Amino acid sequence: MTDRARAPAGSSTGGALRRIAAMLRDWVFYAYPLVLLVLLWEAANRLGLTRPLFLPSVPDVIRQFATMLVSGEIVGPLALSLYRAFAGLALATAFGVAIGLFMSRSRFAHWAFDPLVSIALPTPKIAFVPIFILWFGIDSLSKILLVAFTCVLPMVVATYHGAVGVSRSVIWSAEAMGTSESKMLYRVILPACMPYIFSGVRVTTPVALITAFTAEMIAGGGGVGANLMFAQRFFQTSTVFVDILVMLITGFVFDSILLRLRDRLIPWQDEAERQ
Amino acid sequence: MGTVAQRLIGAAGAPPRWLQSGARFVPVVLALTLWQVIVDLGLVNRDFLPSFSDTVAALAHMIRNGEIGLNLFVSLYRALSGLVIGSFLGIGIGLLMATSARADGFFGPLVATTYSLPKAALVPLFILWFGIGDVTNILTVVLACLLPVIVATYHGVKAVPPVLVWSARAMGTPGPAVLWRILLPAALGSILTGVRIALSFCFVLTISAEMIAAKTGIGKLIFIYGENGAYAFMFGGLMAVVIVAYAADRALVAAMHYILRWDDSLHSVTSYD
Amino acid sequence: MSRIVIAHLNKIYKSRTGDVPALIDINLDIGDGEFVSVIGPSGCGKSTLLYILGGFIAADGGSILVDGKPVTGPGTDRGIVFQEYALFPWLTVDQNIHYGLEMVGMSRRERDEIVRHLIRTVNLEGFERRFPRELSGGMKQRVAIARTLAYNPHILLLDEPFGALDSQTRESMQDELRRLWLKERKTVVMVTHDVNEAVYLSERVVVMSKRPGRIVEEFKIAVDRAGGREATVLSETFTRIRNEVWLSVRRQVGAAPGGADRNEMAGG
Repeated sequence: MTDRARAPAGSSTGGALRRIAAMLRDWVFYAYPLVLLVLLWEAANRLGLTRPLFLPSVPDVIRQFATMLVSGEIVGPLALSLYRAFAGLALATAFGVAIGLFMSRSRFAHWAFDPLVSIALPTPKIAFVPIFILWFGIDSLSKILLVAFTCVLPMVVATYHGAVGVSRSVIWSAEAMGTSESKMLYRVILPACMPYIFSGVRVTTPVALITAFTAEMIAGGGGVGANLMFAQRFFQTSTVFVDILVMLITGFVFDSILLRLRDRLIPWQDEAERQ
Repeated sequence: MGTVAQRLIGAAGAPPRWLQSGARFVPVVLALTLWQVIVDLGLVNRDFLPSFSDTVAALAHMIRNGEIGLNLFVSLYRALSGLVIGSFLGIGIGLLMATSARADGFFGPLVATTYSLPKAALVPLFILWFGIGDVTNILTVVLACLLPVIVATYHGVKAVPPVLVWSARAMGTPGPAVLWRILLPAALGSILTGVRIALSFCFVLTISAEMIAAKTGIGKLIFIYGENGAYAFMFGGLMAVVIVAYAADRALVAAMHYILRWDDSLHSVTSYD
Repeated sequence: MSRIVIAHLNKIYKSRTGDVPALIDINLDIGDGEFVSVIGPSGCGKSTLLYILGGFIAADGGSILVDGKPVTGPGTDRGIVFQEYALFPWLTVDQNIHYGLEMVGMSRRERDEIVRHLIRTVNLEGFERRFPRELSGGMKQRVAIARTLAYNPHILLLDEPFGALDSQTRESMQDELRRLWLKERKTVVMVTHDVNEAVYLSERVVVMSKRPGRIVEEFKIAVDRAGGREATVLSETFTRIRNEVWLSVRRQVGAAPGGADRNEMAGG
């Protein structure tokens, strides 16, 4: 939330290096509480305040991270988790947008779906894990469908709000120009909804990731979540830390990507949320 | 909304409020009927999807022998404790961040980075540190509820018009009093919206933690029945969860309606915004 | 003995792209019980001047003395009424007006008495339990004024208090303000962009230049208001003075930044 000043543009590699160094230095200053935490962590370890079983030392974790990275123990499971999360998100977006648009244009659809959405929204969808395992097994299918189930509702709501928010004058102008109902949906309402849909995707992506990871932790079947539980069962605390870090970094990276994408794709939107 | 009910009642005037809100749930009744029918007709294997009546029967059984009451109570205790602690802490931190540049610089990066971490991932770690039980569960819930409340409080306080603060100071309000007499009430709409989000989180995390590893709780109950193949009971537990979560959300919304009755910008806070 | 003495006041807004001077060398003496209006083109810094007087923002140079003491922050001696009313939306009309009294320290009964009297004064009887969102603009402004009057500040700072109201409401609020002032004789510093309002209410009108703002002209308003609004506004004296002030402001609107010099204006 603080402003970072840009280092002046330099020429050639000397300038580029200086810029990278400046960026790193800015980042360290910005993230100094994190740095502080890491230092405290290491200090606690050095001073013998904690046992390695409960709190492995910082170098241990880093070493474990490197080992796992090289051996593919991170990339493999992560790819699986990501696949599940995003496949589910894609499904949820497709269905959510369709239902949301439908609800905005048809009073019957709104009447039919509104109470269902309203009841399903506050429910902790994660409680459905055992059902999805029963129906679809332990592998990716159950996780993908659970993610889709969890993410479809926010997408419906986001799309619906975007669609009903399209100003009446825009719709009437289009009608006056002879737009058919299906054309109306594709060429007027859908584009007008894009900011809301995108915002919905942005908000729902962490949900997708969290649901995938958590479902793996509960049910197993591969992925970072399952790895984490496995490591914990065998008291491999360094691995536990590495997996937590992997989840953390993954979520952070995707949120940053989405933020940047949004600024690129929908530059006209005036966004009030920023964190 | 309620168009079908209105047509049924005819032009005799507006139907009573309770009928209107009841009519809203007709699609739910229809969906439940559909559920019952497709199982009874054998369209779906009863082993995979117990019927609505089977589920209700199982739930009634569990209510009678106290299983639901006990486990639901434990889960609610964990979830709501975590929510309350997380909310109070969150409001405090959010207030601090919004009024002190130093606090903002300190907590800001922490919030931004942990935002994307599934707090459930910390459960195995907490089990290692604190064992299986309430502490692990409540701690996880607190961490999950912190973030939405911090963010909502921060934005709410930042959005308070400066003239309100200036008026208060011109009337002699001392510095710290401005925080809880002016900033907090003015930001209440935003704060409570954050608490509503935290409410949904607290259930998710309590149940997640219980499904990962717990001795008691409704999440564990659902999980165990699932493992043992007693699917009607599993569905019964799930139904209890859906009802409780919905009721809790509605209760909060009703409370918000009353607490924020002075706020003219909150016309849509009660829908699923 | 002057109540407010402003000497060589400066205010500069600092930004990444450079410094923007808002006020330059403001000198103004306002006497005890005087009603002074500050008027000028948009963005000239008149509100900034008021906020500095109120102690909400700090000056960058020069001094402000109120009753001989420098201004260091907001205080109950300088009541302020904002254009946006700044009522506390979570408090009722009654509670809003009470708020000002809570910091003063008097018994519950005394406070209730004062609040009741004020509500009667601003004609809001029957609305004590309403929230601001249920009131019209004019009513909100009356609550704001009542709230500020409640703790009896010596000085009243008004920042375009009637700017958000429609003409009819504005006129009746102006009359009410004048009536209150005649009764209490507080020192009033009012910022407004409405020339008619300034001339109608004040004893003295101060004209500021375009940003960066400096005081370019002062008018002493010698108008006989005893005959009521119609007689006053339609009188020749009022019209003449009003036109002079209006022309002065217009010149500032059309002038270069920093204002048209007094010498330049001597011709007409």
